[in-house]
Amino acid sequence: MPSIEQPQQRQFNPYSENGGTILAIAGADFSVIAGDTRQSEGYSIQTRYAPKVFRLTDRAVLAVNGFAADGNMFVKKVRQRLEWYRHAHAKDMPLRAIARLIQTMLYARRFFPFYVYNILGGIEEDGTGAVYSFDPVGSYEREACRAAGAAQSLVQPFLDNQIYFKNQLPAPGTSHPAHLPLSTVLSLVIDSFTSATERHIEVGDGLEIYIVFSKGSTSLQGLASVRGLQEVTTTDDGERVFVIRRELKKD
Amino acid sequence: MNSFAERFSTTTAASHMRNAQKLAEEDDEFDGTMWGSSAGFGSIAKGVPSFTVPAVADPTAFLRLHTDDHADPSCRIKIQHGTTTLAFRFQGGVIVAVDSRATAGSYIASGTVKKVIEINPYLLGTMAGGAADCQYWETYLGMHCRLHELRNRERISVSAASKYLSNLVYSYKGMGLSMGTMICGWDKTGPAVFYVDSDGTRLKGDLFSVGSGSTFAYGVLDQGYRWDLTDEEAQELGRRSIYAAGHRDAFSGNSCNLYHVKEDGWKFIGNYDISKLHYDGPGNVPGSDGRPYGYDIRVEGLSSTNAPEVAAAA
Amino acid sequence: MDHFPTNWGRPRNDAYDAYGTYPIAQRPYNGPKDAFAQGIQHTQQPIVTGTSVLALKYKDGVMLAADNLASYGSLARFKDIQRLQAIGAHTVIGAGGDMSDFQYIQAMLDELIIDEFTAQDGHTLGPAEIHEYLAQVMYARRSKMNPLWNAILVGGVKDGKRFLSFVDLLGTTYSASTLATGYGAHIALPLLRTAVEGKEDILNEEEAHKILEQSMKVLYYRDARSIDKYQVATITAEGVSISETRHLETSWSFAEGIRGYGAQTQ
Repeated sequence: MPSIEQPQQRQFNPYSENGGTILAIAGADFSVIAGDTRQSEGYSIQTRYAPKVFRLTDRAVLAVNGFAADGNMFVKKVRQRLEWYRHAHAKDMPLRAIARLIQTMLYARRFFPFYVYNILGGIEEDGTGAVYSFDPVGSYEREACRAAGAAQSLVQPFLDNQIYFKNQLPAPGTSHPAHLPLSTVLSLVIDSFTSATERHIEVGDGLEIYIVFSKGSTSLQGLASVRGLQEVTTTDDGERVFVIRRELKKD
Repeated sequence: MNSFAERFSTTTAASHMRNAQKLAEEDDEFDGTMWGSSAGFGSIAKGVPSFTVPAVADPTAFLRLHTDDHADPSCRIKIQHGTTTLAFRFQGGVIVAVDSRATAGSYIASGTVKKVIEINPYLLGTMAGGAADCQYWETYLGMHCRLHELRNRERISVSAASKYLSNLVYSYKGMGLSMGTMICGWDKTGPAVFYVDSDGTRLKGDLFSVGSGSTFAYGVLDQGYRWDLTDEEAQELGRRSIYAAGHRDAFSGNSCNLYHVKEDGWKFIGNYDISKLHYDGPGNVPGSDGRPYGYDIRVEGLSSTNAPEVAAAA
Repeated sequence: MDHFPTNWGRPRNDAYDAYGTYPIAQRPYNGPKDAFAQGIQHTQQPIVTGTSVLALKYKDGVMLAADNLASYGSLARFKDIQRLQAIGAHTVIGAGGDMSDFQYIQAMLDELIIDEFTAQDGHTLGPAEIHEYLAQVMYARRSKMNPLWNAILVGGVKDGKRFLSFVDLLGTTYSASTLATGYGAHIALPLLRTAVEGKEDILNEEEAHKILEQSMKVLYYRDARSIDKYQVATITAEGVSISETRHLETSWSFAEGIRGYGAQTQ
């Protein structure tokens, strides 16, 4: 029988938690990956701009959340492996292969985990939008949408309702759409983050939304009127990547 | 005291070994297999994959300190778990049925988890315990089953595959792995189910259920199980058992995935929403009368003042 | 196998109450089993420590400030320690936390600069490179469970670009136009942000200096591990300069009138 006395922890704790929230939604021929830019520790805001969403290739974007030092190191290592792949094969690694790579890289640290929740978004080889979500030790699943991080419990139920139409009945004689158009998805993302900013202290300051389009995607037209848009595509393979930067409340 | 002195020694055999290991570890970081298409499981070329272990006195205690949400709900790294899985052997093959909920603490992390892992067209593995442990090692098992086929010109038996897995996890015993799985398939001996867990236990049997909802599933399973079940009856029993667990166990639910393994390999039968099973039934599927599983239907319009005739007579 | 359902899927220690029979949640003791069990002594706590470092970006470059105290617990042990250090021609680092670890870092970075100089390839390391290097070292050390117990600000100017970033014992990094470590992150940073944010390209050297002096003064009033002697490092396109030790003019006469603060008669 263990003793009643609580043991005291004196050992160095190699982990911290840096707040923030990330989110990704897959469309029919596009994928949206977003994250806020606040980095905090406890009640202190360390900086108002520390990106959590990273373009890996022109068809893959990775969002990382949890312990920032682990997150940055993990992204660095994934990018290194993708570059090696590029040198060996003269092409970018396909999305589903990146997903499996991330699983093995996370699981290699099964006994000293990266404290990182990953969401990978992008375009599959068949041109469909995809989202993969991971736990810190590498279990993963392809989904249509996923929120992770500090405000996941605020955002995910909202997405369940608006994307999967959970607890909603279609109007008589109609059915729920399988995929939502880009404009709807973008509004949902922005609303998710403004609302999370209102109700969670670790979310706010700035919002970065990456959008990945498949080759010849018709959804591109929906971007014409979007404010604060910037293209970050690097190849002319066909997939295109854009980023939208917005302000969030800073209090 | 000997070991204390040895730690600082630079001349003993142990220290040379230490240095050699250190060099080998650094080489490992930039393994040649990482360059090519074998990027993911590339390390298989050398045999067993390598793992980073924290430099502390007790690595297992370290892992538990940072990931165990039972002793401390506020711990940071929450590993997904919570499950009901079942598999049973009968005259017509093997039925495998699972729920689809993953929980991290009290948060439902996902309701769409694939807990049946398709190792190859003839082998299924189930997932209970750590999601990543099961996914990773059963994928790894799949690779070795394929190697067995290439080396021996015949498919691996369910018994051999399950033994491979149990030997593998046994070598990590005490390190904190957590998996309770059933390896199911059809080989020369007919339908087979083996239970394998992270302690190294491996059991051959007709009927297993694993996970936090297993007790509820067993309740239904045991009263309906017979060897000579028809295919349709067996599928209905699997579905009904997972429903019962999803209904009564907070850590299980969302939906039921049903598989049937026959002589020519496994077949995915369907995905059934647990709430729909409760209120509407499984729909028009073989083996079911189409009635809802919930008991509302059985008490509707009945009460103590309006008792059925039979009861009144007794 | 553990057949207690609520334990399913959790990492377990078979030697330790495997069936969860004991009702009170208990954390495993993770420390060394006895003093000699593991011969290696890692820095598991800082001994001689420095407190806050402050920094801001202004029109012509970056400015850092840190006081001259190295404490030994609550004892003000060394009162003329320099906690700001020039690294190469474009960078200054300032450190809080363990001073012996900081000295190790200084030696390491000096060697790095010498190696780079020896190459004679026309390249020099700027603040961004030094920060990246330092961050990798700090993260590698934390991953070996043997951290360098510091929080460090790296500031500098190179190729007309101002640079200011943070790195700590965990390898956590971030940058902003004003930064502070330790107590300063709680007490001085709000003042610095109010004074600096949005005015990074307007503030001149004198104004920047004034802001830092004010913040150091506020810190000295409230941080019991601080001292009224401090230095300021200025990095501009022209190069690096670290000031002589300066003295903070403070006034404590207000304390007389406050019960529970100054000398009490009753």
